[in-house]
Amino acid sequence: MNEFEKAKEAYEQIPIPEELEERVQAGIRQGREARRSAKRQRSWKRSVGAVAACFVVMVGMLNVSPTVAAAAADVPVLGGLFQVLTVRSFTDETEDRTLEVKQPGVTGGELAEQVNAEIQERVDAKIAEGEQLIAEYKEAYFATGGTEEEWAQHNNKVTVTYEVKSQTDETVSFVVESAVSFAAAYQEQTYYNLDLENDRELTLQDVLGEDWVETCNESIRAQMDAAEDPSVYFAPDAGGFTTVDESTQFYLNEAGNVVVVFPPYMVANGAMGTVEFEITK
Amino acid sequence: MKEEKLTAFIVENQVRFYRLAYSYLKNREEALDAVQTAVCRALEKQDGLQDADALRTWFYRILVNVCMDQLRCRKRVTLVPPEALDTGSYEDPLPSDGTLAQRVDALPAEVGTIVKLRFYEELSLKEISAVTGVPLSTVKTRLYTGLKKLRVTLESEER
Repeated sequence: MNEFEKAKEAYEQIPIPEELEERVQAGIRQGREARRSAKRQRSWKRSVGAVAACFVVMVGMLNVSPTVAAAAADVPVLGGLFQVLTVRSFTDETEDRTLEVKQPGVTGGELAEQVNAEIQERVDAKIAEGEQLIAEYKEAYFATGGTEEEWAQHNNKVTVTYEVKSQTDETVSFVVESAVSFAAAYQEQTYYNLDLENDRELTLQDVLGEDWVETCNESIRAQMDAAEDPSVYFAPDAGGFTTVDESTQFYLNEAGNVVVVFPPYMVANGAMGTVEFEITK
Repeated sequence: MKEEKLTAFIVENQVRFYRLAYSYLKNREEALDAVQTAVCRALEKQDGLQDADALRTWFYRILVNVCMDQLRCRKRVTLVPPEALDTGSYEDPLPSDGTLAQRVDALPAEVGTIVKLRFYEELSLKEISAVTGVPLSTVKTRLYTGLKKLRVTLESEER
């Protein structure tokens, strides 16, 4: 078997591309997402479709006609309440890439308009950025010897979607997610937490009180220590978690608790993906 | 099974997966795509894996299937000898002294798979049968056919 040992040695010398790690992480995230959405779709698909369609018509009308909007303000359900709806949903496919956009919008007061404008801007920027990345990738691909045929096998995708995390009479939390399929680093999540009564964005302090920093930090550290394998989290002196601050992203879950969210690689190794900590009151 | 266990397994063995995919596809981009697709599929279908002990064979099976699908996708399989590759476009796929390695690559895919899994990945014949979905007896036959072929080609060259 000496020859085989030699052959094996040769096999083990196949060079490993630098992107491997990144691509594996991308696969993990995509698979996780696909599994989640498959589960979600099974239970939600039918009922939500019809309801959403009704709301889309409503929003369309509110946008078009001030009279209808004024009339709707008197309808008790809509008056002063935020609703998160799909304002734009489309798929656009060309040879080089597929765009999948499901853009949310909020109906409500002045804040809603502001938030909508911000979302619009963000979505447009993401699409432009994704298109540019793919164009650059294509150029580099051909420049390094790729063929048209191989390129056609690629399924490059820019997606923007959203998910409502929770909605009560007082608050609504939702997240806008955008991703470029082949570049894990361009995955982005933006959380919005809106206070319906006071028409403003919620902060961690609003929900957790004066001591919000200590409350969060204590809870997060306790959860990290209690993890099955605490070593997945980076140590504080190795760039790991030190403290939450105003820029820390969060949302409110169905139970009304704050869930603090860290993007991949921020506090834990990449295999953990996006890391969430629920802060129970 | 815990998702962390699956991701930890994948991250730990990613280099092996890439090599195996590369040995099939002989193309850096396609091998990366294959690994990403297999990882994605594994995460997506993780609920289908009942027995955590079978994780290794289960994942190899997904990966081998992805690679085979990809090969089938190409109209015909052309194995490119390293010297024909444009320098700079790909990393050197095989060391120049890997005569036997090249012979292994030239085997028909279904025989080559078994030889590679047996000697490179060191899976048992039973595990190979689970990975490829081929009965144990067929695995044995193919392995010996493969070995015979390798020896024959090697000998004929020495003459």
